Amino acid sequence: MTTRTAGAKQSAGEPRELVEMSWDPITRIIGNLGIYTKIDFNNREVVECKSTSSLFRGYSVFMKGKDPRDAHFITSRICGICGDNHAVCSIYAQNMAYGVKPPPLAEWIINLGEAAEYMFDHTLFQDNLVFVDYCEQMVKETNPGLLRRAETTEAPNAGLHGFRTIADIMRAFNPFSGAVYKEALHVSRVTREMCCLMEGRHVHPSTLYPGGVGTVATPQVFTDYLVRLLRVLDFLKKAVPMNDDLFDFFYEALPGYEEVGRRRVMLGCWGSFQDPAAVDYDYRNMNEWGRRMFVTPGIVLDGELLTTDLVDINLGIRILLGSSYYDDWQAEETFVTHDPLGNPVDQRHPWNQTTLPKPQKRDLEHGNYSWVMSPRWYDRRTGDHLALDTGGGPLARLWSTALAGLVDTGTVRATGHSVEINLPKSGSLPEMRLEWKVPRWANTIERNRARAYFVAYAAAMAVHFLEQALGEVRAGRTQVFSDFDVPDEAIGCGFHEAVRGVLSHHMVIRDGKIANYHPYPPTPWNASPRDMYGTPGPYEDAVQGLPIFEENGPDSFKGIDIMRTVRSFDPCLPCGVHMYLGGGKELKQMHSPTFGASLGG
Amino acid sequence: MSKKHPIRTGHPDVRPDAPSHVKGVKEGNSRGNYGKQEGHLPDGRSTARRSTGINPRKHDPIDPDMPNLSPA
Repeated sequence: MTTRTAGAKQSAGEPRELVEMSWDPITRIIGNLGIYTKIDFNNREVVECKSTSSLFRGYSVFMKGKDPRDAHFITSRICGICGDNHAVCSIYAQNMAYGVKPPPLAEWIINLGEAAEYMFDHTLFQDNLVFVDYCEQMVKETNPGLLRRAETTEAPNAGLHGFRTIADIMRAFNPFSGAVYKEALHVSRVTREMCCLMEGRHVHPSTLYPGGVGTVATPQVFTDYLVRLLRVLDFLKKAVPMNDDLFDFFYEALPGYEEVGRRRVMLGCWGSFQDPAAVDYDYRNMNEWGRRMFVTPGIVLDGELLTTDLVDINLGIRILLGSSYYDDWQAEETFVTHDPLGNPVDQRHPWNQTTLPKPQKRDLEHGNYSWVMSPRWYDRRTGDHLALDTGGGPLARLWSTALAGLVDTGTVRATGHSVEINLPKSGSLPEMRLEWKVPRWANTIERNRARAYFVAYAAAMAVHFLEQALGEVRAGRTQVFSDFDVPDEAIGCGFHEAVRGVLSHHMVIRDGKIANYHPYPPTPWNASPRDMYGTPGPYEDAVQGLPIFEENGPDSFKGIDIMRTVRSFDPCLPCGVHMYLGGGKELKQMHSPTFGASLGG
Repeated sequence: MSKKHPIRTGHPDVRPDAPSHVKGVKEGNSRGNYGKQEGHLPDGRSTARRSTGINPRKHDPIDPDMPNLSPA
């Protein structure tokens, strides 16, 4: 894959008018993501897209020399919304380095905290941020024809969620006034409380440590969690059918909408929720305990499950440069030549990475344009460096879990082609079975739909974890912490799922201190720029060639289809979207087949 | 830092590893410390002594078959 220079609907040689449109900043807690596009309004298509980040964090630089036991407290601060995912991932890496296995109750408590985090973050993002792009007000401004049709389209699941037409659903999404918007705010508060019960604090947990947790496991803590969970279940049982109605309507009312944000199915999931019966944090057994995780790790390529082996996944990670503001570290120190199984570790693997920042002027046309590096996964079979995306998190998690068919807790069952989610009776609604089926496309709509289903998945898993945790407590096994010593020399890696996708932490300890530390959250995978082979990152790839369905012309263009696509990846928390629009700067590209032909005479 | 184009910074007044562990200082996480904690039994269970030092045995369950769940 390389940069597209001609749109799919354009015939070669045809002169085209491109308009530059940019959205910067889009995303993240500090607002450091920009999307720069060139749009062909005549052919209603985005021709080129570049994603850029103007912020350098430097965690891998300043972690060096720190006490490894501080790693989860420090790296939690990477994110202001899913910091606990970083803390947990760091703890997994530390557990491996220290050779410690926490007691089962500690694992259940971490799983419960993380399940609450998924419920919290996905609900907040989907209902309060994504749905703004689908609300009545927005659709009225961008696609008035679509809203007229929505007014007369009955919602098939109206009996479950209570909204008679699709337009009623869209009205409920209106920010600050819509019913769903307001209820979601309340749900995100309750789910956050659930996370606090288990992890002490949100988003930077105070009671999670390597070796276990500091949460005092009383029956009260778990029943407090359960009470809240049952309230959330009521919300979910309405939310999932409502999501289905809305997204099915888009496919039906806008034929071809499946092409919006569509890219080749190249999904990565690093697995979530450890099974205490299997996990010992020993790298040599990582394949076995990785496959026992309650969200199965895996790489899905063109709809086929390539691997579920965390060792394979680990060894295939490559951090490439190409359009990033860094010097190469090929000649720098190699920290880990072989993994504990004797497999060689590449110099471009996070264990061996040395971050050499090189600030420079942004050059979107021919040079470097982002502080994000280009993480890729090396496919040994073909030699390709795959630009995996996370599908916003849920799409990859559900897809990988469904195909692997390994998870079966009673509340959740992976069938090989779908995931069945059984939600128990809750406050006001009876029990309900949901089934997420592997979709035909990895596109904007399916990324968003999967998010709603994964909230239900996390809730159903939480029911299972609660039963297991209470089983431990009722047996009197209240130990939540195991002792450990910090070795002078060790390596560790943690694999987890941040809310929006793959998360890995790689650590090297020397002399009892951190010698090298590299966290790789989902957004570097999704927002990566073109690598040294010219392969665009997932945002760029998904937006390039995107057909435009917005009814506005260039003068009042909102870029709603582009925004929906970028947001479908859950680019961390988009706290503000500022559009630098104006009239758009017009670029004219002329094509002269033979020299002098345009001179006419 | 890039060797070719170093970023200009001030002189550090503290070493990056200043907050790391000083060898010889006891660590709460060290192996063997679990056994030294009052009220924590070797098999992973605990007693009311975990929660209080005042007449802890009076807070243990009245029936030995009941799980010993001390308050937080």
